Amino acid sequence: MDPFAVFGMAPAVDLDRRALEARYLELSRACHPDHHAAAGADAQLELLTRAATVNEAYRILRDRWQRAEALVALNAPDALAERKVLSPAFLAAALELAEEVADVAGGSADAAKLRTRVDHLIATEWDAVCAGVAAGDWANAATRLHQSRYHRKALHDLQR
Amino acid sequence: MSAPANEPASERVVLGIDLGTTNSLAAVMGRKAPLVLRDADGEALVPSVVCFADDQIRVGREAKALALQHPEQTVYSIKRLIGRAGSELDADVASLPYQVERGERGLPRMQFHGKEWSPEAISALILQKVKAVAEASLGRSVRQAVVTVPAYFDDAQRQATKDAAALAGLECLRIVNEPTAASLAFGIDGNKDGTVLVYDLGGGTFDVSVLRIQDGVFRVLSTHGDTRLGGDDIDALIAARIATALAAKGADAQTKDPFVRQALRRAAENLKIELSTRAQATLHLDLGAHGNHTFAMTQGELDDLARPLIERSMASVRAALRDAELSPKDIDHVLLVGGSTRMPLVRKSLQDRMGQAPRADVDPDLAVALGAAIQADILAGGNRSLLLLDVIPLSLGIETMGGAMSKLILRNSTVPASKTEEFSTQVDSQTGVDINIYQGERELVADCRKLGAFKLSGIPPMPAGLPRVAVTFLVDADGLLTVRAIEQRTGQEATIRVVPSFGLSRDEVRRMMQDSITNAFTDMAAREHLETHNKAIAMVRGTQRALELADLPSDQTYSIRKASKRLEKALAEAVPIEDLKAAIEDLSQLTAQIADDVISSAVHKALAQEPPK
Repeated sequence: MDPFAVFGMAPAVDLDRRALEARYLELSRACHPDHHAAAGADAQLELLTRAATVNEAYRILRDRWQRAEALVALNAPDALAERKVLSPAFLAAALELAEEVADVAGGSADAAKLRTRVDHLIATEWDAVCAGVAAGDWANAATRLHQSRYHRKALHDLQR
Repeated sequence: MSAPANEPASERVVLGIDLGTTNSLAAVMGRKAPLVLRDADGEALVPSVVCFADDQIRVGREAKALALQHPEQTVYSIKRLIGRAGSELDADVASLPYQVERGERGLPRMQFHGKEWSPEAISALILQKVKAVAEASLGRSVRQAVVTVPAYFDDAQRQATKDAAALAGLECLRIVNEPTAASLAFGIDGNKDGTVLVYDLGGGTFDVSVLRIQDGVFRVLSTHGDTRLGGDDIDALIAARIATALAAKGADAQTKDPFVRQALRRAAENLKIELSTRAQATLHLDLGAHGNHTFAMTQGELDDLARPLIERSMASVRAALRDAELSPKDIDHVLLVGGSTRMPLVRKSLQDRMGQAPRADVDPDLAVALGAAIQADILAGGNRSLLLLDVIPLSLGIETMGGAMSKLILRNSTVPASKTEEFSTQVDSQTGVDINIYQGERELVADCRKLGAFKLSGIPPMPAGLPRVAVTFLVDADGLLTVRAIEQRTGQEATIRVVPSFGLSRDEVRRMMQDSITNAFTDMAAREHLETHNKAIAMVRGTQRALELADLPSDQTYSIRKASKRLEKALAEAVPIEDLKAAIEDLSQLTAQIADDVISSAVHKALAQEPPK
């Protein structure tokens, strides 16, 4: 499924959040089964499937990482699978970061410092993803998307 | 008479029903706003209690009144058992004074009148009562409804509730989540756009939902909850405290005795309610053969007892906010729903957490039914400006290698939602694949709830791994799962047979529907009651109007007025149907004497205006 096509929007890394939300509500109103309760069983199933597709597309489009993944998949269908193996150096650093996150005491000064570092790592990955997309370097964008998962996981764990 | 005010705006009436753990009620969309439907005494709440004593079936207030006399034959809190089975019932069953047995597949069953009863069938009796109250109030029969469930109810509990509606003779057009319904009641009048947190603490269940209201679209961002947390649990703690205190004084308060158990429970509930408005309350407890006792409690003591439970609800509030990626300051309105939110501790704890006072403009007992009526109106085609977008509360997945849970549809996904997954075979010429479906958040299926087993059959014989069966899991707007499978290479649709782990099988539902011939008798009696009731209302109205117009001798006016008053009284007192008929007959004889008179013509005119059935 191409979520951009479902929404009738030009594929892009950056989407206007308000425009996206407005479009989502518009599409939902048009195909939600509640507004077509009188339709026949076949039409109902069709609407149900359509509404499910709209919901799934919105779930992808509203999250910048998933949106970027969809964009990469659209332009280079194999890039994400091919670039799954990350460099040993990156993995070693990621492992070390995960250990630091696991050991840090919540609410401490160290935790705040770690948070700043993780935020910075995530911002760097995002910029690299955007640069890759802008240059049409889908392979590099895919690598950066895979790498960002480790940092996003670290952020998630820090927020616990 | 309340009937004219309750006349629905559209021809087709769809009820909104709040089927609660403690109380149930119905509402319907009026011309502008939803209206709660009340019985002849003006009561909207029907206690969700069924009493089987004396070879009769009594539902609602009557049943609740008999609970102390017949603790073992009075069923309450049935909502805690619906859609559940096996060991997950143990804690609930242990605290109930009535007997619950394990039937087929470990499903809860009760024995009354020499018959086996499922939680669905008991719930159906409650729904029938609610339906009857609604029909009497509306003066017409009703066949369709929107029924609410806790947002945190899983697939099995939703399906069981839908089955209960079918058994009660109601087509359930939609299952709606209770907090979502409450938000509709709150936001219906517009200019409430913003982000809302609904805290719904009922008799047996707790939900919290975060929603965004925007241009008539009510979109749930996240939901969290506990289907085993409610006022019942607080009552149980108070009852245990009373029992301990009585034992300390040397009193024999055997909690094994069903009568004592029921009496303590009732006393605990009363104490809790009293402590919602007072700092201290004293209770006089008449335990019959076990003596008379007094027991005092302060609000502070109650708070200390209830605090751990309320803390659990606050953990859910935090989780819901986290899933919505919001913090308390992002919430524009905090709504309280459910009778248990009357406890000062609940209000204070929530205010502390949210940094704002909860809204007081929604009646916590009525909001859910009113919202259900609004959704009913949307489905009936009466309102296209509103739209509800709800979510699935728990992730849906399948069992993969090593008993791992592979999540297909994540929790808080907006419904309808669907996911297609490919399956293949492991052995040459294999024509069937077993798929186990689970719902829950844990990593291992052993820690999740098994919803059912699906057997994919009819796969064309091929070498192992070659068939590609695309299985589509679709969650509809009720939050219910359906599964379809298509073999990709041949385009052949594989058959799926669902064996649900909980609730009734489709065959059982069908059989029970056929069994409801016994219900047809009650239905007929109800219809006769309804028609007589309507006739009486129309006559009283018509007579009054006619007397104002007609110029009759004063003695005649007097006797007609007297007969009319008698009929009115008979209506208000809900006398037996025969007495009501007699009163109608008396009045109509008096008015019939004046042939061609304005009275009878006005009465007939009024009768002709009776709403269609």
